[in-house]
Parts: sequence; C-alpha cells; structure tokens
Amino acid sequence: MSPNTRIILICSGKGGVGKTTLTANLGIALAKQGVRTAVLDADFGLRNLDLLLGLENRIIYTAQEVLEESCRLEQALVKHKQEGNLALLPAGNPRMLDWLKPEDMQRIVSMLAEQFDYVLIDCPAGVEDGFKNAASATNEAIVITTPEISAVRDADRVIGLLNTNGIKPIQLVLNRVRPKMIASQEMLSVDDVTDILALPLLGLVLEDEQVIVSTNRGEPLTLRGSRSPAARCYGNIARRLQGEEIPLIDPSKEGKGLRDKFRRLMATKIF
Amino acid sequence: MEESSIEKQVVSLPPKKRSGWRESLPSKLNHLKGGNVTLDCGDWNLGCRELKQMKSIIEKSGMKLEQIYSVIPETIVSATALGYQAQLIFPKGAIQSQPQNSNVIRPEKESKVFFHEGTLRSGEHLEVEGDVLLLGDVNPGASISSTGDVLIFGRLLGTAHAGNSGNINAKIVALELKPLQLRIAEKIARGPEERPKVGFAEEAKLIKGHILIGPAKAAYLRKKPLLPNQSL
Repeated sequence: MSPNTRIILICSGKGGVGKTTLTANLGIALAKQGVRTAVLDADFGLRNLDLLLGLENRIIYTAQEVLEESCRLEQALVKHKQEGNLALLPAGNPRMLDWLKPEDMQRIVSMLAEQFDYVLIDCPAGVEDGFKNAASATNEAIVITTPEISAVRDADRVIGLLNTNGIKPIQLVLNRVRPKMIASQEMLSVDDVTDILALPLLGLVLEDEQVIVSTNRGEPLTLRGSRSPAARCYGNIARRLQGEEIPLIDPSKEGKGLRDKFRRLMATKIF
Repeated sequence: MEESSIEKQVVSLPPKKRSGWRESLPSKLNHLKGGNVTLDCGDWNLGCRELKQMKSIIEKSGMKLEQIYSVIPETIVSATALGYQAQLIFPKGAIQSQPQNSNVIRPEKESKVFFHEGTLRSGEHLEVEGDVLLLGDVNPGASISSTGDVLIFGRLLGTAHAGNSGNINAKIVALELKPLQLRIAEKIARGPEERPKVGFAEEAKLIKGHILIGPAKAAYLRKKPLLPNQSL
C-alpha cells in the first residue's frame, strides 16, 4: 500500500444527510485539483453513488467480481467521463452483504490505495455490519451531519464507534446550513453542533436547491465550476483536505453582500 | 525526597503534607539534570493554586513539569484542569493505613472510586461499582451509572443513575447539570428544561423521596476519605 494514500471514510449514522452527495462532489473537486481519486461505494444495499456521478450505465463489473477474482480491479473501475483523475468502484449486488467480511473490505481498499492518492469510501447509513466493514478499512474519517438533533445524535454515536476503532483524525462537515433560520434561532447553530460533537470543523455546506438539480442530472455541482453556494462550500472542503487554509464561511454574513444580492436578482424569474 | 532517573526524572514529595514545601522543594530539585520532570505528589491533596506554585518553582530551577502522579483523585482533577498528564496510582498499603472517617456509614466497598477520562458519546454506557469520577462530558443519549456517587467533571447532558443498587444517599454532581433524566436509587426524574447558569457546579440528591438539584458543595469530596483500591 502506498503510504501517502489518504483513505477517508465518509459517514453520518443517519441516512439522507448527504454522505453520497459529499463523496461525489469531493471526489470531483479533488480530481480537478489533479490528485488521483477513487470513490468506493460501500453502500451495497442501497447503492447510488454511481447515479450521482452519472456513471450508472457504464458499470460492467463491480467490487463483487473483483473480490471473487473474476475480473481485475482495472476492469471494474469506472473512469469519470469528464474528470479522468476520478474513478468509481461500484458496489455489487445487495446479496454481498451476506458474505462480506471486514477483511474483504480491507483487501479491496488496499488494492485501490496502490493506484490512487485519495480513496473516499461512501459509508452506508446505520451502525451495523455495513458500517463496521467500511470502518475497518479506513484510517481517517469525515462525519457529516445536518443541524437537526436526530442527525447530531446519530453522528455522536458514530464518532464514539470510530473512536473505539482508533480512527484518527475525524473531521466534521455540517450540511444544509440555513443562515436565515440560524439567525432567527429556529435551527441549531454551528456552535451548538460543534459543542456536542467536539470535532474540528472541516467545512459548512449551505442549503442549496442546485444540489437537487445536479443530483437528478447526474452531474455533481463541482464538476462544471458552478458558482452556487453549495459548490463553493464543497470546493473549499476539498482544498482544506489538501492542507490549504481557507477560512470558514460565516453563515450570518452569507447572502448579505452586494454581489449576492445582484446574483439573486439575476436568478429571479421575472417573466 | 528521593529521585530516580532511569528514563523519567521523578520527584517524590514526602508522605505527609508539610507547610514548608515552598522552601524545601527548590533544594531537592538541584540534584536533577534539567529537562522534563514528573512530580509524584503521593497523598498530598493539592489544589490548582498549589500546583501552579510548584510548577513555577520547578520552572525557576530550569526544568519543565511534565506529568503528575498522585493517589488522591482531587489532585488528579486539579492537575488535569491545568493541562498536565496526570495518573492516579496506588501504592502498596501506604494509603490504607489512614484512619477511616468515623462519621461515614457507607460499607467499605463503596469507597472505591472509578476514574474515567473521555467523553461518553451517544449510545455509550459506563457502569461502575462504587463511585465514578468522569473527566469529560456525558453527551445526550449516553448514560453513566454506579452503585455509589456519580461525579462528572464536565457536562451531564445524557442520563445518570447514582446508587443503582438502592443507595439512597448517592449523589450526582456535574459542572453543568442538564441531563435528559436523573436516577437515584429507585427514583427517576426528568432533567430541568432551562439551561443552568454557566460556571456553577450543581448536585442532585434524593431529599424526602424527590430528586432535587442544588449548588454543589465545594467541600463535598473531602467529607469522606476517597480510598483508592488496588482492584480498580
């Protein structure tokens, strides 16, 4: 295994908080910076990382065939159509869950680590076998959560489990932040969340309708260099992962500047 | 005072606490080579202020205080609060010869203190026989329980159960007491709705069959001897 490869598990505990979206966008953003990046879909039961990346129809072999040794790793890897530095290793049949062991996961990740600088693992929701398998193969984690008490509670649980597995460092991404709701104290603030979870904050992602549009199109926001709020946030997270120091956005100042107002005006449908 | 320099330089304080240590400590430090020093406080009950004074004495001699050993949990708490590595140790029999405080009616095995460092996260559960001293928070969804007292040097946001085998004299103490639920012996209470004032430690006790929360007594820990036990 290449010693410089960073193997990062992206997990949350709760479902639907944005693990897969973060994995896809981060994968693209890192690849755009010129690092060789692999994304591994470890959510065998409900796979959809391939959908988000728009690679569903290109899948020929999956992780299952690689583990069964009925194909080579290179055959199973799906290269992204626009970003050549990004490759996806798709999840196999949901029946894989019956026989997959932590050792299998470790084997496949170490194969990926030989060829790539970054291996991002999209973890399934929950804390059962799927999570345990994925956690056994990683040495670094990003926990993503939204400012809701249920998501924060689940993230806390996951962090506890990651700690007992000796995974370090663990960083936090706070997704779907709505500055207006925080200002009117209808939503947990950034401090409320970091207070409980006590993790270094890797980044905030602002609530953005464009995420839904891009998901449905199968083109992650970061792919086209979109200027939408969420795309900027994902880009910042990727650069911080690479060691750049970029200040966190301040939700209270977001959307107040002249440029933001102008942009909003331009986006309004007048007719 | 003795010192040993196998790998670490350990300065041991004499067995009984003396008032003249401010004068005697510097002369004992002269034998050391410099660099990092581990201070073995023995059975001295030291507060933050005294530890700070010791630190400045050690630094004046050109050394750096690195680690603190003690058999007294209060000293460990003070040392940790100042940011030192601290370790609770149990010498052979030396401490056991101390006279037991006569007004304590607890059975002998209740004087065990289990010491845990680290935050309890959601889903985690710490269960202890005897008293428990936690350095860290109890997050929402986590729980801590003991047959004796529950002492939390941090925030209690989850569930705590003191005296879980029926000890109605057990207490729950925390720096910030905002639990989901409190249990003492057989009694159960929901936590307070409002956030407590910052910076005031509080304790929950069972008074006439109800769990009541009040300001924590500073002298609480000293009322009874906290005898460390080898089996911890």
